[in-house]
Formats: sequence, C-alpha cells, structure tokens
Amino acid sequence: MAIDYKKELESAAKNMIMIHEPDLLIKMIVRTIVQKVRVSHAAILLQQKEKNSYLLTVSRGRSGVRIPPAFARMDKDNPLIRIFLEGRNKKLFNNDGVLVYGEAQKLLKKKIPADKKELLRQALYQMELFGTVACIPSYYSQELLGMLLLGDKNDGKRFLRGELDFFLALSSDVAMAIRNAQLFRELAYEIDRKNRLFIHTTIALAAAIEAKDNYTHGHIGRVTALSLEIARKLALRNKLAQEEKFMHFLQIASLLHDIGKIGIPESILNKEGSLSDDERKKMQEHPMIGTMILQPIQELEDALLGVRYHHERYDGQGYPEGLKGEQIPLIASIIAVADSFDAMTTDRPYHKGFTKEEAIDEIRRSSGTQFNPQIAAIIIELFQEGKI
Amino acid sequence: MAKLLIVDDENDVREFAANFFRRRKVDVVTAANGEEALNMLDTQKPHLILLDVMMSGIDGVETLRRMRTKNKDVRVIMVTGRKPEENNTFKLCSELGALNYIHKPLELDELEQVVMTELKSINGVLEPKT
Repeated sequence: MAIDYKKELESAAKNMIMIHEPDLLIKMIVRTIVQKVRVSHAAILLQQKEKNSYLLTVSRGRSGVRIPPAFARMDKDNPLIRIFLEGRNKKLFNNDGVLVYGEAQKLLKKKIPADKKELLRQALYQMELFGTVACIPSYYSQELLGMLLLGDKNDGKRFLRGELDFFLALSSDVAMAIRNAQLFRELAYEIDRKNRLFIHTTIALAAAIEAKDNYTHGHIGRVTALSLEIARKLALRNKLAQEEKFMHFLQIASLLHDIGKIGIPESILNKEGSLSDDERKKMQEHPMIGTMILQPIQELEDALLGVRYHHERYDGQGYPEGLKGEQIPLIASIIAVADSFDAMTTDRPYHKGFTKEEAIDEIRRSSGTQFNPQIAAIIIELFQEGKI
Repeated sequence: MAKLLIVDDENDVREFAANFFRRRKVDVVTAANGEEALNMLDTQKPHLILLDVMMSGIDGVETLRRMRTKNKDVRVIMVTGRKPEENNTFKLCSELGALNYIHKPLELDELEQVVMTELKSINGVLEPKT
C-alpha cells in the first residue's frame, strides 16, 4: 500500500509542535516508521549532552533485531558518525546525504580517493553491525544531532527515492524539534538560575540589615519561614495566596521587610531600654525608608507592599499610613503577624522573650485590633498543630 | 564451533546479542539470571561467557565468584552499565579472574572485537572464515 508521505509528514510536524518532550516524539516517529513503512527495525541515535558520543535511544522491530535502548553507543570518532560529520560531503553518496548500504557498496568499486574509500568501508561495516541498510542523518545548522537507522524493508525491496526523501524531511524536522526542546529546557534553567540569583541577592541584602542590628540575629530568616508557612495554610482557603507569584513576593518581602533599618542610626537600633518619643518616631520611618530604597526595582511589584505596610494595624492605629482592615494588603498582614510573633518570642537584653504559648495568647487577644483575624487564626492553628 | 553463553536479565539484550554473535558463526546459549547461568556451566560447557553485572537476584559479580568456585578455568567477560572508574566492581572482577570488562552503552565493534578476540585465542573453536 502506498503511503501518503506528505500527509504523514504533516501529521508528524503537528505532533512536534504539541510535544515538548522530544523523547516521546522520537518514540512516536520510530513507531510510525516501523508500522507505516514496514521495516524490520528502526532505531535512533541521539547526540549526548557532552557531544562526544551518540546513544541509541529508541529501537523498534523484531526481537533479536531491535537493539535494546541505551545498550549501544557510537563515539564521535566512529566511522559512521565521521562520515556524516566530515561528510555532509554529498559527493560521497549518490544522493543527498542518505547513506544506503547497497548503493554505497557500489561506490566502493568505483574510483574514489583512498581515504574516503576506507572511511566508507568502515562506515558500511558499522552498518552491518547494527543490521542497518539505510542511515539518515539529522542536522541542525552544521551540527549532527542524531541519526535514524533503518533495517530491511519487510517486502525485501529497496528503499524508494520518495521514501528516502520522506525520511530526510522527517529527520530534519526531528532535529529541529529536539533542538527546540533543548533550547526550551535551557531557557527554563536560565530563568530558574536568575530567580535563584535574585533570591540569594535578596538574602545577602537582608543579612546586611541584620549585621547592623544587634538584636535581630536570625529574625529575618525566621520571619520569612513563618510567613511562608502561614501562606501555605492560607492558600487552602484564600485564592490570592494560591498564586505562585504571591508566594514569591511574600518571600522577597519577608526577607526585605526591615531593610529600611539601614537608614536608622545604630544608637537607636541598638539602644538598651525603651525609646524616647523622637527615637520611636525615627524608628517608625523604617517601612518608608525601605520602600524608598526598593522603589526603583520595578520587578519587586507587590513585594513592596509587604515592606511598606508590615507595621499597619487592623484597627488603623499602625504606621506609616494608618490603613485599616482589608485596606492593608494581605502580604503585609502576614508579615505583621510573623514579625510580631518572632519579636515577642526572642530574648532582648532588657526583656526576656515570651514563651510560644504566651505569644500566641497575645496574638489571640490582639486579633481584630492589631492583627488581621484570618491570619491570626492561622498562626494559632499552626501552633496547635505543633508546626511552630 | 565456539560456544558463547550470554547472561543478562534483560530479554532484549539477550536476544540482540545472541543474534549478533550467531551471525558471526558462534553457537550462542543464553541465561536470564545467575542461577540459570551456573547450571548451564555444566550442561552447556561454554567456551566463553558474557556476563552482565547488574542483575536482579544473584548479581554478576557473585555469579562470577560461584562460577570460579565450580570451574577455575571459566572464561568470562563482564558487561555493566557503569563505567569501571565509578566503582570497584572492575577491581573485584579482575581479582576474580574476569578476562575483560565492557560498559554499556557499548560500541558494537568493541563488543565484537573483545568477544571474537577471546574466542580466537581458544584453539580451533572458531570456524575458519569462508
């Protein structure tokens, strides 16, 4: 039965767009070839990441003829690889880039340069080893990404020109799909790397604040961990907290919530005993100083709200703006609770820290006045569950 | 005729390797695990054994050890998924008298060469090339 190659090619191309996983795609293609073209077996060799060898990844066909996946490899000095690497030398083959055993053997009898003849002889020997009668290379720009190996046709006939053209087109599309998938993965990795760089830079910045403030050792790390813990529980009942972005900004805001303390004199920050009214006023500037420092970084978006409003109170008696109730961004309400809990439970030179029970009692008492009741309820639950 | 015993717990590997060497005029028998291989040592008396290291049940190294206890002249080539430098299996197998060591994924001509060279070194078991 004749195959509508154009149709097959179109359907293969369609699949390639839909599939980001090249492994799956390759398996599908090899299966299609074995079924539609009816060859004894088909296999694909793919260039490995280190680029010095090609691994036989997929093989289909009769038992005994198909080569188990990951069983065989070809190093880049393998003659069959070399002939395609150095090759792209179309004159070696009497067609455009496909190596067909029968035709190539005839070439051996013709007058061609001795070194090429030797390479071709060795390459044909490799084909024998793999039980392959046709090799179709897959190039992406100048790089050999892989190779399709085909066994005999089941009807014993030679491959037709149209069939070989079909395989060539298919294999160059496959190369494209593989390369796209690789680029896609690299991009994802790069984004991930940039994100980690950003978080680590933020942590370094947070450490700079801690270095200045004698009393807050470890505070930022604990507040961040607790804020995220609260948000994870909140996500079960609040849509906003379910967003990945929300968690990201919450992490950043928790790390940076006290960055404005950089602008507060150390004499105030590290003062033992209570602050005078002027000193307290100065101290209360830190959320706005932090906001001003971070404002130019557009990418911080909602994280800025956490820095700016983490000292607002639910009853509107907080600072810097006296926002009330739901006017206070959720991100800031979470940090406010986590920040207070940690401050209360930490020993200071002039007062011993509360126990966790005492701090939780205090949060319960101040729920709806100082704290957003929804968030207060969550930290109480976390405590009752023994998670903090 | 040279007789080769292929021991591997993967069916596809056994089938492919068996077919590969049969095409080279080698009499091939196969075993799917260490115990089967140990039994075949007596019943089949292979000239050479291709033994996979990573097998469920008795692994290749233990199979090799028991084979050597049964017959100290047994000729074995080890095949493994790990590179020799990655563990001490290579050293262990050498001490147990393995002739050679191939790691998967392998180059088929290397497989052919290692096995055929060993078979050639045994007098008269290979049929002359026609």
